[in-house]
Amino acid sequence: MALRLIRRLSTGTAPYFSLAIMLLLLAYLLSAATQDKSRLNDLFLIIFGIGISCLLVLAGLLTRGLWRLYRDFQRKSAGSRLTLRLVSLFVLLIVGSTSIVYGFSVHFLQRGINSWFDVEVEQALNDSLELSRSAFGIRMRTLLRQTRMMAGVLSELPDSSLGHNLRELNRLSGALELSIWNMDGRIVVSSIDNPAIIVPNRPDEAIVRQIKQGEDYIGLDPVEDEELQLRAAVRIPRQSPLDEERLLHVLFPVNEQLSTLGKNVQDAYTDYKELSYLRQPLVTIFTLTLSLIVFLTVLASIWFAVWISRRIVEPLQELAEGTQAVASGNYNMQLTASGHDEIGFLVRSFNQMTQRLTQARNASQRSHRLLEQQTSYLTTVLGSLSSGVITIDKDLYLRTANVASSKILGVNLQQRLESSLDNLAQLNDNLQSFAMLIKNFTLKPMAWEQQLELSQTKGRQTLMCHGTPLPGETGWVVVFDDITTLIQAQRHAAWGEVARRLAHEIKNPLTPIQLSAERLQHKYVSLVPTDQAETLTKLTDTIVHQVEAMKEMVNEFSDYARSPGLQLEWLSVGDLLREVLTLYQSNPQHQFALLNSQEDLQIRVDRNRFRQVLHNLLKNAIEASEEAGMSVDIIISYHALRYQHQRWLEITVQDQGPGFPAEMIDTLFEPYATTKTKGTGLGLAIVKKIIEEHGGDVWAENLGADGAGIIIRLPLEDQQT
Amino acid sequence: MPVCSAAKRLMQLLCWLVLPMTAHAAQFAVNQAQVYQIGSGHTLNATISYSLTPRVQEALENGVPITFFQEIQLLDRTPILGDWWQWDEIIWATEIRYELRYHDLSQQYMLHSLDAENHRNFTTLTSALNAMGDITNLILPPAFTKSTDNKILRLRSGIDLTALPSPMRPGAMISSKWDLTSDWFEAIWPSD
Repeated sequence: MALRLIRRLSTGTAPYFSLAIMLLLLAYLLSAATQDKSRLNDLFLIIFGIGISCLLVLAGLLTRGLWRLYRDFQRKSAGSRLTLRLVSLFVLLIVGSTSIVYGFSVHFLQRGINSWFDVEVEQALNDSLELSRSAFGIRMRTLLRQTRMMAGVLSELPDSSLGHNLRELNRLSGALELSIWNMDGRIVVSSIDNPAIIVPNRPDEAIVRQIKQGEDYIGLDPVEDEELQLRAAVRIPRQSPLDEERLLHVLFPVNEQLSTLGKNVQDAYTDYKELSYLRQPLVTIFTLTLSLIVFLTVLASIWFAVWISRRIVEPLQELAEGTQAVASGNYNMQLTASGHDEIGFLVRSFNQMTQRLTQARNASQRSHRLLEQQTSYLTTVLGSLSSGVITIDKDLYLRTANVASSKILGVNLQQRLESSLDNLAQLNDNLQSFAMLIKNFTLKPMAWEQQLELSQTKGRQTLMCHGTPLPGETGWVVVFDDITTLIQAQRHAAWGEVARRLAHEIKNPLTPIQLSAERLQHKYVSLVPTDQAETLTKLTDTIVHQVEAMKEMVNEFSDYARSPGLQLEWLSVGDLLREVLTLYQSNPQHQFALLNSQEDLQIRVDRNRFRQVLHNLLKNAIEASEEAGMSVDIIISYHALRYQHQRWLEITVQDQGPGFPAEMIDTLFEPYATTKTKGTGLGLAIVKKIIEEHGGDVWAENLGADGAGIIIRLPLEDQQT
Repeated sequence: MPVCSAAKRLMQLLCWLVLPMTAHAAQFAVNQAQVYQIGSGHTLNATISYSLTPRVQEALENGVPITFFQEIQLLDRTPILGDWWQWDEIIWATEIRYELRYHDLSQQYMLHSLDAENHRNFTTLTSALNAMGDITNLILPPAFTKSTDNKILRLRSGIDLTALPSPMRPGAMISSKWDLTSDWFEAIWPSD
């Protein structure tokens, strides 16, 4: 609770100003309470107590503030060093200046109060008092004598005449009052000058005791209004020892001038004595009050100094933290700007700086992103190009290579970026030729174009290379296309034209030749002698058979040359393969195995033409095996695969034959490229033509000991529902 | 002045709390107090002994007037739980005040009765104190003394510190040498 109060009191600006006002009020009250005539005089102790309590509270607050400062300093938190320095400076100033003022104040206070009193003045007052006493002493002695005489007179009188004589004596002596008392304090008789007074003034016990001891009394007696009169008391001599002991008590007036003078001396003396006596308490009170106010002021000032130091350092501390944040890469730092002074200007400048930094960083990030986008755009473009694109620097090191370049050259160039052409050349013969070509042409800085023949496992490969120097002679960009297919297509087109013409030119005369030969045999076999008839029959049969064979050949040519008119329909590949294979099951010498795909693959093809493809491939495989004198064992498999972002159907027809001769593997699918004794040499050419009409590809592979295979790859489309 | 007396009480309380005083070596004391019945009225006779501390005597000799008070209260006592707990109600109270000062020129002590506006002179301090401490025939108000059942008359005396000169007052208020107020003393009623 108390801690919370202290915390609340020690935050914000309000407590400092209220404290200042409270201290001022307290100082005023304290100074007012020390005034002699103030009503607050009686409250001095209470006000002083409040002051002490304030002092304690302030001391507590200050201790807490200083402890926090010390803790911050120990932790080396930002700004604590400067705060400590400022506070030390303030404290030094406050304590120094206040100590000087305090010391001088106390000194002046004591000297000032002491200067009211003077030994000479004191002596003079004592002397004047003594003088007054002496002045009265002369008169007192006279009056004492007079009183004794009166007592002597009265002692001789009887009690009955005492009253009358007393009045007479009163009148004669000019006394104010005469009274006779016995020693028990009872009045015997009295005579009073003033008729208003009835009861005579009683002598006090001490006087009576003195008289009893045989000493007469004479003394000054102050009365109301501080006037003086003289009092005398003497024993009345006894006529006989049996008489009652009595005393005469007389009050004499004092000369008015003497009385006034005596009163003045008495007043001055008493006042001086009282003042002198009160000097020490006065000094103590003033010193205490002064000390309290000074201590309160010093503590409040130090507290204020701590507060103001923190307030001054706070923006600097924030600035230091902000700078650290910026140094560690956080540019979003915004400080709260306060005030219109230099520190406020600094804070605003800092905020502007961080804003600019943030903007600059954002711009750089944007341009970086843009660059990345463009790079990825270029990469995508290059990646999707069917042409191979590579760049080499002027030192002939490979810098970039797209996917197509790796595919065309059969080497993953993208994994060999930053390697020299010489290193690449050592990988295989093809790359060596490729590297040699580039090296030869990069000697001169001008664009070039060159065709290059390479031998791949699939066959001969023809590349068309274009080289262009990069701007600033920083290197070269080499673009190359695989034009093997193009060349083959051109060749196929030529063959197609030849076949079409042959079919057209040869087919027409064949039927008359055949008919003529049959008629020749029919008409002349009976006319010739029997021994020659056999020869004739034989010859005409030969003509008929050869013409038949020629017809067949012409039909095949006609098939090959036929322009595509595909009747596409959705078919199950498995079903189709099984249907075709059933036609070959009749020969028990022939072994067929169909490896089904796990899924049922549907493909959109022309049923008849695709069946022809399968027939051609199977026939080709059977014939190849039979000619080599090997058992016919054919494995047919099909499956789907993903290649170049597309699904493909791959059908492999594999035999256990001797394989394809290496020199023929390039031209296997061209017309009349056959090793077989039978057939027209158009089987595989037709296969290739049909497959290409379906947008697919076909090639042959030698599988070593496992024979050879022909692989068909057809695009798989998603079936339309 | 109520503020002053309240302040004084508070101060005394504070002093008692802060400075526990074990012994009052020289304190005023009511030696005896007796109520007499004279006719239908009652009077009080009492003697109070005033023994001044050297500090007070010093102040007196240095011309500082000292004010004494004699406080007399008449209580109506109602027992609530026998003698254990009683309810006192002040039905009448008076205060007699004297100012004592030393007259240097005449070397006499002047005892000034502030209520009666008269003064007496004494050659010695003792006689002045004795005279002050001698209460004779103080008439109690008849309105409150018709029935004396459960009536308590009590008195005490002390120095009025608020009448001291202001520089002395704070010191006197926290000093035991100035706190000479006697305990309450209950007067003896005449037996019927």
